[in-house]
Formats: sequence, structure tokens, C-alpha cells
Amino acid sequence: MKKKLSIIFLLIIFSIQIYNVIAIQRFPKPEFESGHTQPPTLTPDPRSQALDILDVFVLVAALSIVSWLIIKKRSRKGVFWMSIFAVLYFGFFREGCVCSVGSLQNVTLALFNPEYNIPLTVIAFFILPLVYTLFFGRTFCAGVCPLGAIQDIFALHPISIKSWLEKVLGVIPFIYLGLAVLYSATGTDFIVCRYDPFIGFFRFEGTFMMFVIGGLLLLIGVFISRPYCRFLCPYGALLNLISRFSKKHITITPAECINCRLCEDSCPFEAINKPVILKHKEEKSIASRRFVLLGIIIPLLILIGGFTGSQFHENLAIVNSKVRLAKELLNNTNYGETDQEAFEITAFNSSNQSKEDLYNEAASITHQFYIGGWILGGFIGLVFGLTLLSLSVFRYRKDYTPNKGTCLSCTRCVDYCPVKVNE
Amino acid sequence: MKQKLIIGLSLILLLAVIIFMVRDFYKGSNRNQSNPYEYKLDNLKNIDPELITYAESKQIKPNVENPLAIAIDSKDQIYVCGENILTKFDTTGNQLLSFDIHSTAYCIHVSTTEEIYLSKLDRIEVRNPNGTVKELWEIINDRAVITSIVTTEDFVFAADAGNKVVYQYDLKGNLIKEIGKKDTLTGAPGFIIPSPYFDLLIGTQGKLWVVNPGRHSFENYDFSGNLVSSWDRTSMQLEGFSGCCNPTHIALLSDGSFVTSEKGLERIKIHSPNGDFKTVVAGPKSFVEGTKGLDIAVDSKDRIYVLDPVKELIRVFEKQ
Repeated sequence: MKKKLSIIFLLIIFSIQIYNVIAIQRFPKPEFESGHTQPPTLTPDPRSQALDILDVFVLVAALSIVSWLIIKKRSRKGVFWMSIFAVLYFGFFREGCVCSVGSLQNVTLALFNPEYNIPLTVIAFFILPLVYTLFFGRTFCAGVCPLGAIQDIFALHPISIKSWLEKVLGVIPFIYLGLAVLYSATGTDFIVCRYDPFIGFFRFEGTFMMFVIGGLLLLIGVFISRPYCRFLCPYGALLNLISRFSKKHITITPAECINCRLCEDSCPFEAINKPVILKHKEEKSIASRRFVLLGIIIPLLILIGGFTGSQFHENLAIVNSKVRLAKELLNNTNYGETDQEAFEITAFNSSNQSKEDLYNEAASITHQFYIGGWILGGFIGLVFGLTLLSLSVFRYRKDYTPNKGTCLSCTRCVDYCPVKVNE
Repeated sequence: MKQKLIIGLSLILLLAVIIFMVRDFYKGSNRNQSNPYEYKLDNLKNIDPELITYAESKQIKPNVENPLAIAIDSKDQIYVCGENILTKFDTTGNQLLSFDIHSTAYCIHVSTTEEIYLSKLDRIEVRNPNGTVKELWEIINDRAVITSIVTTEDFVFAADAGNKVVYQYDLKGNLIKEIGKKDTLTGAPGFIIPSPYFDLLIGTQGKLWVVNPGRHSFENYDFSGNLVSSWDRTSMQLEGFSGCCNPTHIALLSDGSFVTSEKGLERIKIHSPNGDFKTVVAGPKSFVEGTKGLDIAVDSKDRIYVLDPVKELIRVFEKQ
């Protein structure tokens, strides 16, 4: 019922956007000449630093409360209401920016470009969820991230997907992470922000395709819960890695698991590890042979990935505006424009930079992409290798446990567990 | 089976989203040559020919420098004024009279007794039918910009764009009251007039119609100054008015419909008494781009006279 009410509430908020569609431009400017003076154009003041600090405090408070609700109170209801708060505050009020997901690009850019002065708020938004994840698992994903929260509200009819498919699709966020780092490191683009699917909803404005992508992901999310978090989010990939080492992760049962299997299908994210019965344990010799094989395959995958990535460095680099400009000038293709000079070329011609300087700069950037291509390809190869490893490695489990990497700490499974601890 | 189908479709959609993102990033141009803030009015200037039910039947050269205003009296005689000169024509375009008015007249009205009312910016000049000055009414406020005058048997109404108010005078020029002034106590919203176009007329039912151009609305007042009714139509399309302040001029057809002229998108249209769009008299392609201040008048045969200040012509439009 509450979920339905929340959806109705969100739909009402989204419907306000229709206003933008029917809004009518007015022209031309007033021209009264009888003493009327045009008021000066006012530019809004930058956001107060105090509000930025407030955001950090709210983030810390939200992370602390949600972690407490998850680890101590084990309250699904509490997490749900924190999700609503996250959507309202970090989503609609803060208009989705700065967000932790996008902050990884700012941090990368700051690491690779000393001239970039990264705001402390952005660093805090990047670091704090990582720190909390290291201690408590992905509690940030559970009820603080507005991108996750908005999808969670739409997870109405979750359907299970095959674990192999989950694994295969789960590789995408790591590729996205690698690309996001590459493009931020080279100062090319912040692709995570460019393709943020829900920012349009939070700001009540955006391109048509932005709304289509966001709408489609919410639609998919009705059946395949949180598709962005699971199969796209690059920050989630980072949290996935860190959460594996979390000190105090949520458990399904507060005491000993009685293997009642009630929680087995409770997770909409396929993040529950089922017990593995001892008799299925494979022989040591087979396991050893597999490890040796994987020991060869994984470095090979890294090498192949790196080599492949390096071969595509020109394709990767072409989206860099300077590389593209150099290419257009070199080939005299004018960005495909036939009726007029492309504005990039007009702007370049009006600058004092020589073509040779531009070509040198573009060559330098392309070389960065060559190195980046090696690293990106190697990283993707490693991810494939580790995915292969995780699929083939045998782990003995006697209890139902959350997968610390993919578990979003939503606490849905907790409600299914009949084991209670008397306090 | 149903679940498999849903999963399959969801995954296809997910992959489509990912493929679109990748394609958009690498193959999309990521650039837009056009200025997103530029007003693109070209499409709006193209009007379906079927909606234009009037045709230009005649052009009259008024021989008035910088013609600004046009009026037609009860005998269908045409009056045009501008810089220093007022000229009178018969319906065929033959000049009947022309006299010096010594300065620019911004609007003109001819009463049923053929007295000529001229706006000299911040005062009203009343002239006899032969052109001699009868009276001069000073407006109390030095910010006055009188843009339109109409008369009834008992009153004279003058629209002051500078003070955003309509003055009601008796026939001797005594100010009776101000109509439509913004009043926070009574909640009267007032007129929004960003540019010096503020027109009024007396409707078929003897009530005062005033254009509130900033609101794209027509407001109907009784002679006590009470707002009786109003309608507004804001639209870039033919159905309404757009820009900071439109329509700039209005006139009345015998069936009570309004003829309107607009600037920005230079259009002459007809709206029914309740505001609904009826037809187009002349579209933007009939005028030089940037033309504004297209004053209009209607004769007893519902022919529409448009004073084109750029071409310095009286252009007559008749229903086809």
C-alpha cells in the first residue's frame, strides 16, 4: 500500500513536467520607449558553502541512520522510508548533484589533472559511502543513493533471472567504470553524468532521450529490480569490490540459520548465496587443476584485453573534442556540415592556436588513450577472469548468506527469516 | 512461460538502452550546430492557405510620412495620420481632405458626429470635421502615452499605455474615472503593457473592450469601470497570441468578431467574440519581417483596412 502511495506521489511529481512541454516561448523583448528600462540581467549567486556542508552532514547522518537500521534494527520499513528521504533530498531537492556515482569522475580528474580543483564536498560524497561500505556493506545503495532509491520504489514485481546471466550482465558496470575513469582521466567527458538516467526526473528537465532511458529503466525495474544499480552503475562496481571486505555486513538470520528456505527467493537482486551441500564438494585434484588453468587464463585475458584495448585507442579517443577537431581539420570534413562552417572550426579559427599545436595536442591525447586502452582492456580482462573464477570456484556454505559483493543491503530477506533473537 | 517472456523483453530493453548509450556516445555527433536559444519562427510563418480566407483587394497610398494610425467613419471615409499630416479618402481611394496637424498623431478616432480625435502622445486633440482644432485635452500625467481613443454618445475613452490605464471622459474632456488600474486592495490585476500598443473599442453590445496585451487577453468593462468578462489566448499557433504583448491593434466586425493584428509574428486574424480563432486575414508572408504597429479598421461592409507602416500603404482585405 505504502509502495503504491509512493508511486502515485512520484507520478504526480513527474507529471508536473508536462508544464515544460506546454510552456510557450514569448517573443520579442519588450520595447517600450517611454521611460521603461530593462531590468539588469541577474545571475543567481553560487550555492552557499554552508549548504554544501549541510549536504555532507545529511549524507553522514543518512548513512549512519540507514546503517543502524540495517545492521542493528534490521528494519525494512526504516530502509524504505530512508529511500523516500533520499529521493526527496538528494534527488529532487539537491537535483541529483553532486552524487557519489558521478563523483568518481571528479576524483579521477583531480588525480590526473592537478589543475582541476576538486571541491571538498565532492571528495566527501566519493569517500564516505566507500568508508561506510567497508564497515557495513552497501548500506549507501540500500537507502541513501537517490538513483537506487527511485528504482527500489518501482521494484513491484521482481522476477528471478539465471545466475549465469546475472554474472554476465554484472560485468557491464566494471566496463562502464573503466570507461568512466578513462574519459575523466583524459579530461574528455563525464560519461556517467551524461547518461545519468534519472537526473531528468529530479530536475524536471532534460532531453527527450534522457527521459526515455530513465523511463525504460524504471519500467524494466518493475520486473528486474534496480537494473541500473546491478547492470550499469560504475560506483556500484566499486562498492561491490569494497563490500566484499566489509567488517559488519547484514546477515539474513540474526542467529543460526535453520535452513527453512523461506528467504531463498526473497532477494530481488539474486544476491543470496544458497548453502552448498558437502557431498557436492569436488575433489582437490580437480580444484587444483582448475586453479592452475585459471592462473594461466586470467593473465592471458588481461594481456589479450590490454592489447585489444590498445588497438581501439583511436576509436576511444575520437570522442575527445580536441582529437575530433584535429581529425576534422586534417580531413577537411567540417563535422559533416555542408551549408555552413561548423562552429567548432569557426571557434578554432578565431583562436590564436596553430593547427600544428592542435595536432600535437591531439597526438598527445591519443597517446594517453593508447596507454589508457591497455589499462582499460587489461582491467576488463581481469574482470572477465575473476568472473570466470567466481563461477568455477567452489565454496562450501551451510547457511543462506548474502553475497557481500552484490547484496544491496535492502533488508527484504530479513523479514522472511523466522529466527528471532530475544533482546 | 509468462515470466520468461517478461524477463526476455526486459533484458532486450536493457540491452537496447545500453546499445543506445554506446551508440550515442561514439556515433552520435554530441554537437548541435543550431543555437538552442534561437527563436525559430519559420514554421509558424507558414500558414495553411486554407485558413486564409481573405485576399488583398486594394492598396491605397496615403501620402503621409510615417503613417501610424487609421480610422473609418460611419460613411466609410478613411482617415490616416502620422507625422504632421492627416489625410481623408473615400472608399475608392480618392483623397478628400488633407491638413497639417503640426506634430505626430499616434492614434485617430472619428466619432459618429465626424469629430476627429487625435492622440498627441500625452494629450488629446479634438478637431472639427474640416480639420480645425476644436479642443485640446491635457492629460494630467506626464508619462502618458495615448495609444487608442473611442467615443460613445456620452463618453470618450482613451487608453494610456504609459500609465497602464483607460481614462473615461465626458464629451467636454472632463475626466470621470480611470478604468483597469492595478489595485492590490481590490485584487485588480491591471494592464501589462511592455510596449506602446494598447488598444480598445466599443463592442456590439455597447461595452468597452480593452486589450491587455501582456496577458494576451481581451477585457470587457462596463461604463462604471467594472470588469464584466474577459478571455485570453496565449499560443504561438494561430489559436492565440504570443510574444511579450499582443495583439497590438484590434477592430470590430459587424457580427461582433474581433480583427486582431500582431507583431513578432506579423499576422492579421479574426477571433470570435468569445476569443476562439476563426480565420486568418493575412499571414506573416504578407508583411515585411519586423513590421509592427499594423493599425486596423473595418468599414460598414466588413472590409478590413490595414495600415502598413513599413510599406506606407493602406491595404484592403476582403473576404474571398
